[in-house]
Amino acid sequence: MPNPPPAWVQALKPAEPQGTQLLTQERAQSNVDVDKLGELLHTKEALQRQDTILSVLKAEKVFDKSQNHTLGRTEKIQLALARGKRLQQLKKLHNWSDEDSHVANELLAEPTPYGLHSTMFLVTLREQGTPEQHKLFYERAASYQIIGCYAQTELGHGSNVRGLETTATWDPEDKTFVIHSPSLTASKWWIGSLGRTANHAVVMAQLFIAGKNYGPHPFVVQIRDLETHQPLENVYVGDIGPKFGYNTMDNGFLLFNKVKIPHVNMLARFAQVDKVTNKYLRPASPSLVYGTMTWVRSNIVLQAGGVLARGVTIAIRYCAVRRQFQDRDAKASAEENQVLNYKMVQIRLLPLLAAMYALHFTGRGMMRLYQENQERMKAASQADQEKRGAGPEQLRAGSDLLADLHATSCGLKALASTTAGEGLEVCRRACGGHGYSSYSGIGPWYSDYLPTLTWEGDNFMLTQQVARYLLKSARAVLAGKGTANDTSRILQAYLDRRDKGASFDILSNDGDIVAAFAWRTAHLTFEALKYRDVEKRSWNSLLVNFWRLSTALSQYIIVKNFYEAVTSPELTSTLDPQTAGLLRSLFRLYALHTLEREASEFFSSAAVTVRQIGLTQASEVMKLLDEVRPHAVRLVDAWKIPDWQLDSSLGRYDGDVYPDLFRRASQENPVNDLVFDPYPWNDNVLKNIPPRSKL
Amino acid sequence: MHDFTESLRPSQPSGPELLARERAQSNVPTEALANHLLGSDGFLSRQSKVLAVVQSEPLFNKSHQQNLSRPDRFKLALARGKLLRRLADKHGWAPEEHEMAEYLVDDVSPYMLHMGMFVTTIREQGSDEQRAYWLPQIEAWKIIGAYAQTELGHGSNVRGLELEARYDPGTREFVLHSPTLTASKWWNGALGRTANHAIVVAQLLLPDSRTSNGTLGTKYVSYGPHPFIVQVRDMETHQPFEGIVIGDIGPKYGYATMDNAYMLFNNFRIPHSAMLSRHSGVDPVTGKYTKPAESAVVYGTLTYMRSKIIQHARLVLARAVTVAVRYTAIRRQFPDRDGASNCPELPVLDYPTVQIRILPLLAIAFALHYTALAMQNIYANTRREIESGNFSSLAYMHSMSSGLKSLCTTLAADGIETCRRALGGHGFGGGSGLIQLNNDYLSKPTVEGDNWMITQQTAAYMLKKMTAALQKPNAVVADEIDGQFRASLPLILDGAGKESSYDILGSDEDLVKSFQRRATALAYNVYQARVVRKQPWTSLMTDFHKLSKAQSQSILVTKFHDALVSNVDLPAATQAVLRDLFRLFATFTLEADRYEFFTCGAASRAQLDVLPARVNELMARIRPHAVPLVDSWKIPDYLLDSALGRYDGRVYEDLFNRAHQLNPLNKVTVNPNYWEDEIVKGGEDLKDIRAKL
Repeated sequence: MPNPPPAWVQALKPAEPQGTQLLTQERAQSNVDVDKLGELLHTKEALQRQDTILSVLKAEKVFDKSQNHTLGRTEKIQLALARGKRLQQLKKLHNWSDEDSHVANELLAEPTPYGLHSTMFLVTLREQGTPEQHKLFYERAASYQIIGCYAQTELGHGSNVRGLETTATWDPEDKTFVIHSPSLTASKWWIGSLGRTANHAVVMAQLFIAGKNYGPHPFVVQIRDLETHQPLENVYVGDIGPKFGYNTMDNGFLLFNKVKIPHVNMLARFAQVDKVTNKYLRPASPSLVYGTMTWVRSNIVLQAGGVLARGVTIAIRYCAVRRQFQDRDAKASAEENQVLNYKMVQIRLLPLLAAMYALHFTGRGMMRLYQENQERMKAASQADQEKRGAGPEQLRAGSDLLADLHATSCGLKALASTTAGEGLEVCRRACGGHGYSSYSGIGPWYSDYLPTLTWEGDNFMLTQQVARYLLKSARAVLAGKGTANDTSRILQAYLDRRDKGASFDILSNDGDIVAAFAWRTAHLTFEALKYRDVEKRSWNSLLVNFWRLSTALSQYIIVKNFYEAVTSPELTSTLDPQTAGLLRSLFRLYALHTLEREASEFFSSAAVTVRQIGLTQASEVMKLLDEVRPHAVRLVDAWKIPDWQLDSSLGRYDGDVYPDLFRRASQENPVNDLVFDPYPWNDNVLKNIPPRSKL
Repeated sequence: MHDFTESLRPSQPSGPELLARERAQSNVPTEALANHLLGSDGFLSRQSKVLAVVQSEPLFNKSHQQNLSRPDRFKLALARGKLLRRLADKHGWAPEEHEMAEYLVDDVSPYMLHMGMFVTTIREQGSDEQRAYWLPQIEAWKIIGAYAQTELGHGSNVRGLELEARYDPGTREFVLHSPTLTASKWWNGALGRTANHAIVVAQLLLPDSRTSNGTLGTKYVSYGPHPFIVQVRDMETHQPFEGIVIGDIGPKYGYATMDNAYMLFNNFRIPHSAMLSRHSGVDPVTGKYTKPAESAVVYGTLTYMRSKIIQHARLVLARAVTVAVRYTAIRRQFPDRDGASNCPELPVLDYPTVQIRILPLLAIAFALHYTALAMQNIYANTRREIESGNFSSLAYMHSMSSGLKSLCTTLAADGIETCRRALGGHGFGGGSGLIQLNNDYLSKPTVEGDNWMITQQTAAYMLKKMTAALQKPNAVVADEIDGQFRASLPLILDGAGKESSYDILGSDEDLVKSFQRRATALAYNVYQARVVRKQPWTSLMTDFHKLSKAQSQSILVTKFHDALVSNVDLPAATQAVLRDLFRLFATFTLEADRYEFFTCGAASRAQLDVLPARVNELMARIRPHAVPLVDSWKIPDYLLDSALGRYDGRVYEDLFNRAHQLNPLNKVTVNPNYWEDEIVKGGEDLKDIRAKL
């Protein structure tokens, strides 16, 4: 690394006032109880866990983040594997729980090559394997004796699982499956942990028995030798190359040339081939697994709040430190203004501050609903098995709720991950020029997060499932067969009041804001239903409507969950009245800012009037920005993201932005070891021999 | 490498077959349209001439660059920059040809500032004597330069710069000094490792003429930021001089190939001749300041940069859209729900949810193109006027360029990312061709004036114009804004509460008028708030931003329309397609803010509800021509560097080849067992890696 700068440089201080001083002022002007609010968001236990794990990680040199952004791809992923190994070693050393390991990964904040082994591979083996298979595969995988991945998507096929090309053909002669890739587009692609790391894979392949296709099923296939780590014969596997982000992960490709695997390697909890009769069997209903997707998506919603919080924390702290231009209306001698005082900065950042809280509470709400429902279903299915006869209402209610949760989780996943992904870029731009530096901590984080917008179902494709569900519900409600869930309720409420009109008082009644969001959703649903059922328009021509419909429903659910959270006794009894009131302002800011952006739909559906929208735009949102502004720094502090995790010069807790940027640039930047020869007619690029590179 | 994968082919129908069908179903003449767009100033012939040279040099092969570490990537870029200059000499390239080569190689070159801001500033702000001394050395690359304006603590607000240039009449020198850490120059391209000279912008401090004689303790007065040309590194050793500290500021979101710099001065002395003195000067003996004729003149270079940025934006967007259109015409996913049960999967470009992301961007690329042409003309005219001492159009020019820079770079930056996401999972991969483009281009919304901040300049200008228009409704029309206000303002003043009568669905002229009406109405609202009701400036910033956006959109719509009215060099059927693109651009833009148009009296209540369907209808009309329309931009495969966007549609073969043959990671065999410290089989282990951090 470069030599330290000369004494005269070391003596320089940033111009007054110092960042630390500005953030101290920010914190002094608000009395939000950061610790209380932090515990409400995350629980005391989780925050303590974070502290404990953080101190372990910080002490390990291999987790030093200073070179993360300068390494080449090959070095980067080797370092990531070294980190992944060390995390596993530490887990053993300190007896970490899975939750502890999860926190460690979050703090490290980059994927490791074990990422898919420890999640999808283990989960699939556990959920879809029989007890025999658990012994054979799961137990060895859980102790890392075998390392695996989950190979579903292919070069030519993503979201549409039915279109997969890889085949698994049952051979009744020797009782094996033959795994085969019939074309180039059948190559497995994007499979995390597969490229260089895994020696096993769960492979999704079209099951063929006696020439008949039974659709995609999971198979465990060994792909590399456990000693040499070289691919087995007729297996062709590798890493797919550099990406936009996620470069610490070896996303892989995988091709099979008629590879035979034993009968026991088909994961057989929900479907199997009878060894003797060669018949296809379905021993259990996969409806509980169907719920896994719902759980994964609810988790994405919750996570989206945290992902966004990281960008908002950085941007708000930095915009409180950064000053630019004098206030036009101030005296000529006035100091430059903190950019966070500018409305054009506030209008970008404060609604995102509100959104991160909104997503967090919505994710929590979804997961609570999911757990309640899982318990109800489990109880019902046990009752069923014990033949004591569960009441049909009980079963129905559970599955109605699950259908509702499943559909709404699709839409929410799409909206939440888009909000978080795009929100990060808004935060980055709000940081001005310095946002573009990797030391801002936003860019690399954004690049790694972006695939969430296309995985677990492409955000645009997913919205069709939501629309399908809403249309189905609307038809049921019209036929008088609506169910007890919330979707039916809001559709029915709209029908009941349609002739009388809405007349919601969104400016003084918070409950009415929620009702206005419900109204607009119901209006768009019946409008879409008219296009589809009465005017018989093609499904394809309505996709844009469906996408808007899904967005409307998801915004309603977020607004509703946020409202329920800020009015819940749990919140109002934990927080002092002022902080609770402030969260209420955040709710209003999120809801009214969203309403203002979607003004046309609220107006067309007659949920609100032109006058109401005018007042929302001209005064209400501005008023809320003024209310929230003084508390902005404390409201991000409450999220309790450690500096080590943020890895940002701009977002440091202490506000010492400029010295940190300068230190990293001058001391941690290997480019400054290069002395250039700038002239085109000299062949040498360098005038010196730089120190050997990192790896 | 030989293996069983060699015999594998993608499943049918193949990419080439699908693209051939796309090209056969449209009558848009690619060559004629390409000539119309890019032929007139020799762009296309320049492109093919330079492309042939560049493609034959192994150093310009792009296949490994994404894997390199920052220092290695940067060295590669410097080597390429050197070779390009040598090729320019060898082939006798004109400056535009050299620029074309840089464009095709697509590295943000370490020499970019040398060839851009550095030489431009000397040319525009150097005295005749300074031009004569410096320009030949710069053009021969005897010296390599950079442009150092922004500082660690100061960006868009040039007046806030902290670096001092204090004049010492005794030695007839300026003393450059950084009083604080935030005074460090920061972000200055090409300066970190490459340049040995720089234009340095510093606060000019002169002895207070009433009290001083140049001795110690003299009082100094600040005259604001001024440019100086400074040698910063030794020509032999390439080390910074004593009293100067320079370095690269580290890794960024993109621009890995550029050595953006920090730079600090410790009482560093430069001669009197270093101050660029075309427009202002300091008397060497008395230290007396000579004012420029027009204080805004220093913004000239910035304005020039902005017009270049807009020209660049159209090509960047065209590139992203080319990839998106071609790949979504090939990629198939899910069968049609209304189709037969065994029908094939549909190309995703047939989905309206894909169309609505990509086709409006295709239309925007054309809108940016025609606006860039118009801007270019205005800039050329303005320059001529400035040279002859007439500064009257600079304010108009500057205000327009601010708002347009903001809107156009936002459209292009967001457009790249929208295209990338429309590609699905493969858009995230290195084979999409949109990764480096996204990384490099995303600097644009915050450089050369932050996209939000600079909208105040457009708004302030319009506020001034609105005030004047209301005071003197019959004054001479001096610029386009006067004309726009003259036409729309009376309607707004007596039309309050009336339903809009613009036929935005049937008449292109009315579409244009609707945009002008809305921008004028917003300007009037801002006038009411600021001038009449005296609301604080800060509280109106979001309104200023909306106004600037509305005005810039109005300019894009107007320029696009103007161009179509005067275009006769294309077949009628093609002109009709271009008209649809115009309508799509205008209608899509209008639809996004339709409620605002409604409240501004620029669209009616009834129109609000039908606009979404109108957008769908226009997209359906353009859809069959999408592939030939992007072909017409003639972006070479070499520049695209995209498996997904290849002209021939061999998407999957290329993706596989990149992963399989071109990926260095596949030469590394790792040891995956966590209890073993070995990372690479027979190579590095965990302790080695730890030791090197």
